[in-house]
Amino acid sequence: MKQTLYSAILDNGIILLGEELPDLESVAVAFHVPAGGIHDGPGRCGLASLTSEMMLRGAGTRDSRGLIEDFAMAGINWSNAVSTTHATYFGAMVARRLPEAMPIYADIIRRPLLPEDQFESGQQVVLQGLAGTDDDPSHRTLLALKKLAFPAPWGLPSEGLAGDVEQLTPAAVSGFAHRHVRPDGMIVAAAGRLDWPDFVTRMEGLFADWQPGEAAGVQTGARGGRWQHVEHDSQQTHIAIAWSVPPYSSDDSYEATAALSVLGGGTSSRFFTEVRERRGLCYSVSAGYSTQRDFASAICYAGTSSERAQQTLDVMLEEIERLPASITDAELGRVKARAKSGLVMQQESSSSRAGGIARQWYHLGRVRSLADELERLDRLSVSSVRNWLERNPPADLSIVSLGRNPLEVPRELSA
Amino acid sequence: MSFRHETLPNGLEVIAEVSDSALSASVGFFVNTGSRDESDQTWGVSHFLEHMVFKGTDTLSADDINRRFDDLGAAANAFTSEEDTVYYASVLPENQREAVELIGSILRPAIREEDFETEKLVILEEIQMYDDQPPFGADDICRAAFFAGHPAARSVLGTLDSVRGIGIDQMRDYHRRRYAADNVVLAATGAIDFAELVETAKRICGDWEPCPAAPRACSLPSRACGGGDEVIREQIIREAAALEYVIRLSAGPDGDDPDRYAAKWLAMMLGDESGSRFYWEFIDSGAADYASCHHQDFLDAGVFGVQLSSDAESIEEIIERAEEILADVTANGLTAGEMEQARSKLASRIVLSGERARRRLFGVGLEWAHSRRYRSVADDLGVVETLTAADLGRLLERWPLSGSHATVLAGPLESTAAGGEPSVVATSKPQ
Repeated sequence: MKQTLYSAILDNGIILLGEELPDLESVAVAFHVPAGGIHDGPGRCGLASLTSEMMLRGAGTRDSRGLIEDFAMAGINWSNAVSTTHATYFGAMVARRLPEAMPIYADIIRRPLLPEDQFESGQQVVLQGLAGTDDDPSHRTLLALKKLAFPAPWGLPSEGLAGDVEQLTPAAVSGFAHRHVRPDGMIVAAAGRLDWPDFVTRMEGLFADWQPGEAAGVQTGARGGRWQHVEHDSQQTHIAIAWSVPPYSSDDSYEATAALSVLGGGTSSRFFTEVRERRGLCYSVSAGYSTQRDFASAICYAGTSSERAQQTLDVMLEEIERLPASITDAELGRVKARAKSGLVMQQESSSSRAGGIARQWYHLGRVRSLADELERLDRLSVSSVRNWLERNPPADLSIVSLGRNPLEVPRELSA
Repeated sequence: MSFRHETLPNGLEVIAEVSDSALSASVGFFVNTGSRDESDQTWGVSHFLEHMVFKGTDTLSADDINRRFDDLGAAANAFTSEEDTVYYASVLPENQREAVELIGSILRPAIREEDFETEKLVILEEIQMYDDQPPFGADDICRAAFFAGHPAARSVLGTLDSVRGIGIDQMRDYHRRRYAADNVVLAATGAIDFAELVETAKRICGDWEPCPAAPRACSLPSRACGGGDEVIREQIIREAAALEYVIRLSAGPDGDDPDRYAAKWLAMMLGDESGSRFYWEFIDSGAADYASCHHQDFLDAGVFGVQLSSDAESIEEIIERAEEILADVTANGLTAGEMEQARSKLASRIVLSGERARRRLFGVGLEWAHSRRYRSVADDLGVVETLTAADLGRLLERWPLSGSHATVLAGPLESTAAGGEPSVVATSKPQ
């Protein structure tokens, strides 16, 4: 399959990435600013999220309402999100509207008004969102797991902690924006019906005169304990399990993700077959992969009625334990087929590709071509996955349960 | 893009929107059946049957089915609603034939006793899972109250008791009647080989029996069809919830009504997640966690659904303010600026979702299954471009937002009675 990828770096460090998908009418653009939750600072968990919220409340000559109305009139399907590492400003639109969209994003990123009279409203938006996630048991379970399994500040929720957000001030927000919203470390990715030379020229005009700031380091602390139960008044008990696996930048990540896919990826996975199909223990059960640049984690999840939660956990642990020596050719063939389909189908979506190429650059410092990805997938073999698992069996598990009653975990974990 | 259509001798219809540039093929079997086709004795059987379809045929085990979907690299799933049960897969074009063979085959399931009992446990888990999540059943209670007297009143999943009570023979009988050849549409979008699609359908589904079905449209007068001027309010107490959740339903145009496009347009101006009346009133200020409005249409009814959530102390004020906005819009309409912004957003979303063969499948398949109509992306865009203030005025006159409605709250708020009138309180605590 023919693929047209572009990249360029402005003098101030902004990485520009592009992928041309000429059969589409749309283009998607994502501005990834290195202002994610890891930069919140002690006692200020949620500062990145609040800053991102405030940055959309007017920018340049547009006030808060003018900004949102201009997005609407240009038919820009916009969103913003804050992850552990980045604040992202995203937009998808009919391709001919991109020239209208870019100056709006440049204003948001470079000239946010951060109006003090709207600070309380912005703070309320973040606090309301946090209260909402309190009512989502699976989300709470995964947040608790991240906090256990990842070292601080990587395990803290980028959406914030209510107690911290209540203490934040307008000065903290403008300080954070000044320090962390910066060109060096920023990745801007566009995909779809894209005129690359025109895109680069416009980006230069809007961003080239922006000076890089001082480098911001992150102090990594200790990780949490191994096992935690969270009290929650619900009919179901939620279970989440994590252990360390190689990050995306490691060549071994293909073996690791293939092994996790066998464990809990599709409907023919071990988890789905043993937990749901054979025993009817739950509706949702899965295993997945979550990566940062320097470390990554396997994340398993199940939600089940409280009286059957212990059995669910026991079966999941059994399946994790027996995984290393037991992967078959047929299972690996299915993993490859699913991964290949997924890669090809991504090419139909400007949004998926704009996200995909930026993610690859962040982790690898380059964009992998589809051909390279498919070739690396083809090289996976039962022996390469088994060898990797034998050298790196799931170990040092972190386990969280959330529900009415705590579960029993194996002695070596509860110690 | 071209549209193709063929009807097999047994009544099964095959349609496709064929795209020359797509990289994937999406196929789906759209069965014209859902919770509205159940009785009180079989409440939940449509969704339960959807699960049983994946548990095996006379020649395929559940494991075989799961493995074959994954062998094909298929993004495959199924869903059940009030009116439809849909089985679908997106695959690379070279796997089109096998995907259709597989889904077509499993639509004649064995429905074995042992699988029936095990899968019943999974359904009971699914019901409990949703009951633990916002809006904590407020959507089901509100639909039941608003649609009372109409077949869409029943929730799709059923209740723990109704699902426990379903017998295997009831499910087999339901399957025979509702999964008949002439009650199913095979739809496909993307890089489709239509001749092969028809050939596969004939081979796999050619021996399916037709079964004459009674008309589904309901002639009963009900609030959902625009009758009455009653205001209903109910409350579910969930002490442990962090926020209070509100669902409000009022009547709107049905799926056959030309005003349904204006209804989507109106809902966007009122309650889109960005730039709408609700957005500026509730979200921008941080007064509410969530505030939205959408329009949903059925064969013979339609609703405007409003969803709100905030901390329990503010919720009464937010409901009151939302009612004022709905009354104001009903009386005075919206501004030219609001209309143009919403038109532009609607058009952009139609183009963006039209690019994904997977998303297109549902639009194309459901439209045909309900009304035997095909509408291209360009057709939809054409309608959106020509909507006028007069359309909006007519819509609001026919379906005043401030008219008869049902509102249900769920959350920690103690039982209240607006205006001194006693409210119906349904207390539902996890058992």
